[in-house]
Amino acid sequence: MTDTPQDLPEGASKRLAELEHGLFTSDLSVNEFLLIKEVGFHPLGFVMGSSIYHTGIQTRKWGQSQELTKLTEAMYNARELAMTRMEEEAAELGADGVVGVRLDVNYYEWGKDAAEFIAVGTAVKAENGVSYRNKLGKPFTSDLSGQDFWTLMQTGHIPQGLVMGTCVYHIAHRGIGQTLGSAGQNVELPNFTQALYEARELAMTRMQDEANQLDASGIVGVRLEEKSHQWGSHTIEFLSLGTAVVKTSGEVTLPAPTTIISLDN
Amino acid sequence: MTGPAPLAADRPDGSAGDATSGDIRKEMLAAAQSLDRSAPSPAAAMTSDLSIDEELTLHSIGWEPIELVYGVSLHSIPMGVWNWGQGEITHASSAFARSFAAATDRIHHECARSGGHGVVGVHVERNVDRHHIGIALTGTAVRPVGAKKLPSADSVFVSDLSGRDFTLLQGSGWMPLGLAAGASFVYAPRRSMGTAMKQTSQNVELTNFTEAMYAARESAMERMQRSALALQGTGVVEVKVTEGPMEFAHHAIGFSAYGTVIRLVAGQHRNLAPRMVLPLDDPVRGVEATALRGA
Amino acid sequence: MDDVPGDLPEAAARRFSEGAFTSGLTVPDFAACLQMGLEPAGYVQGFCVMKWGSWQFYPGAGPYGGYGPNVAGTHGGYSESWQCPHGFVSAEHRVWGQNYEQPWVEDAWANGFTSAYERLIEEASALGAHGIVGLVDTSAPLGDLGVLEFRVQGTAVKVKDGPPPADGRPWTTYLAGQRLAKLIEAGYMPVSIAATVASVRVWASCITAYLTEGTNPGWTSQAVGAEIEQTARAQMAVRRIARERVRAQLGGDSLHGASMGTRERELGEGDADLECILRGNRVRRFKEFDPMPAPRPTVRLS
Repeated sequence: MTDTPQDLPEGASKRLAELEHGLFTSDLSVNEFLLIKEVGFHPLGFVMGSSIYHTGIQTRKWGQSQELTKLTEAMYNARELAMTRMEEEAAELGADGVVGVRLDVNYYEWGKDAAEFIAVGTAVKAENGVSYRNKLGKPFTSDLSGQDFWTLMQTGHIPQGLVMGTCVYHIAHRGIGQTLGSAGQNVELPNFTQALYEARELAMTRMQDEANQLDASGIVGVRLEEKSHQWGSHTIEFLSLGTAVVKTSGEVTLPAPTTIISLDN
Repeated sequence: MTGPAPLAADRPDGSAGDATSGDIRKEMLAAAQSLDRSAPSPAAAMTSDLSIDEELTLHSIGWEPIELVYGVSLHSIPMGVWNWGQGEITHASSAFARSFAAATDRIHHECARSGGHGVVGVHVERNVDRHHIGIALTGTAVRPVGAKKLPSADSVFVSDLSGRDFTLLQGSGWMPLGLAAGASFVYAPRRSMGTAMKQTSQNVELTNFTEAMYAARESAMERMQRSALALQGTGVVEVKVTEGPMEFAHHAIGFSAYGTVIRLVAGQHRNLAPRMVLPLDDPVRGVEATALRGA
Repeated sequence: MDDVPGDLPEAAARRFSEGAFTSGLTVPDFAACLQMGLEPAGYVQGFCVMKWGSWQFYPGAGPYGGYGPNVAGTHGGYSESWQCPHGFVSAEHRVWGQNYEQPWVEDAWANGFTSAYERLIEEASALGAHGIVGLVDTSAPLGDLGVLEFRVQGTAVKVKDGPPPADGRPWTTYLAGQRLAKLIEAGYMPVSIAATVASVRVWASCITAYLTEGTNPGWTSQAVGAEIEQTARAQMAVRRIARERVRAQLGGDSLHGASMGTRERELGEGDADLECILRGNRVRRFKEFDPMPAPRPTVRLS
């Protein structure tokens, strides 16, 4: 990314330098901490990245269903910037990856149409000295909790990166009125089915493209969500998110779970 | 890609896991192949809204679900009963009682007709409106596996306990007998203008308010207890109480309570002797995908 | 583009041709599926956008001319009527009230749902999947456009070393992960999901209208605090129809983990549209009943 800041803020370098002396910070729970140790990783520090982004405006054609590429790019780039800066912080610490990544958006009164995109997580490093960085030489990122990270490792998979695809789509106004005017029955509107279908597939495909760049063997925990926010009901953002994983061993080593009946409420 | 396999070799029981996952694989394969065979006779079909956990725990004590059953009743409340008055709004209280009784009666018949010995996991919907009160009960009829004898509608039990709770109770020697319910609707007492004026600057207990609310709560509970005694129960568990002013008439307050009546059927209570477990779970925390797009 | 989208969108075709699988499963579900020998093939979806209007003024519907379908001809299996006992007619006093099933609403819903479901199956078949797990279906109005979208999504899987489905159609289930493993352990194999809607219209008789809304106080002699029989019967009927319709889909299999949801739309004094959606997993017993040992009761230390 060309407009990525070359350097992290001064405060960050200082904080990270302190962490290199053996202290670690993390927002992991004790359970998560112990499970991450269980699979041979050690937490290095709490890392974050931030980007305040102004989303532009794009004119929509009243009667045409189309993707609003400018908005798609805005939504995508803002998150990518925050993620990249977080990865840089992790790389600075010599981490193999970042677990428990959370993405947030903050709005401030001083910024109209602007939002702060934030990514936070805990950088981890393998204790056996082997590099677990992804194909691009960067620390892997994942939104997995400590428990999920442990479970995933038992299946012989290692996370490669949090991957995302998005598509902001505008649905035509014209056409719908015409169809509504005709017969009095509840019938399918094939054009609309197709437009929405296409938009979702675009979001999914972009996510998958990110995974392919990482040579991932798959994406787990895919979520596909949609919402039309400040843009009005005809403009919808489709967002897909998941953790790209690569398979390293053939066997699932999960022990058979014990059946219990809990007396807790 | 670098990186060793996960720590299978280090696991003391690494092989045990493999053996069992082989079993479930074989089962899955057998299950998938069974789809080529034709479906069994329609007579064997069951319907159930139980979760797989509930069904497995029921199976473990030899019970099975048979049919999704329900009972609904609505009773009318005459005009004008919510207007200002004193004491209990008997028309509303009795409409609740009758609706609950009729809905229970219907789910009993549904259960008996399907061959169930009882209904577990009953979901109770209460709808109190200005002119009517409705009660809807939905649950799954269950019976001991393969039981042939059709029970009578009077002999079946209805319970809002889950399949898990039913299993645990049964294992300890108890049985659910039925649902007990009670409701009471009252007018909030009025203060005269003079009294209200006098009290504006004082800290005083509004004794007539206290008494009215207290009495209404007591009478709802008492009605529930009376219906439990009528079922010859020794106790009522998981009582749910709702109370508060009516949306459509803020000066009227409703109390309703229901729970499952149970009785010890074994000679004596059997202890479960639970094992202690130390879970390593936390509440699930993940990326809020919506967070990326703003509010 | 044809009238009905018969083919996958270009983007879907491209997505499926690429290497990495996508899975909508959570990590624990993913792990459990691998353990059972179910390998994720891809995240699959199907949609259908339908124009969705109110049925209140459906031409020819209801017992009064111009308000509804010809009662004798087009209504479904369930119909009951209540005669006015008072013996006179006025603009506000109905001669009779009626409950009837609305198969045209049920059919429209079934069309939307089935179209979306079939597209999901099509995507899964394109991936050579044996089954679809962790299925999620929703229907939601799209903005304020007066349209309803049916969505069905899930994760397509292949059974390791397993044969493709005999009839070429993947099996489907709402369950995934350990819950699916437990279903298999209980001796059931998922066949497909089953979902249906039942719709009943209540045209209130004069007595029902009075009992429901307290109108026409002149007729109180009928009953004070009586049961509103017409509405109660409609409420029972809409649930029964939903259960019967699902039973008709089961063909001898069982319905597991069902959820029954009802909705009421008030249209006037005692008049209402009742809807009952029933969905669940159609499952087939593949081995004899073999209960697992009673699970160990535990108390959490935390």
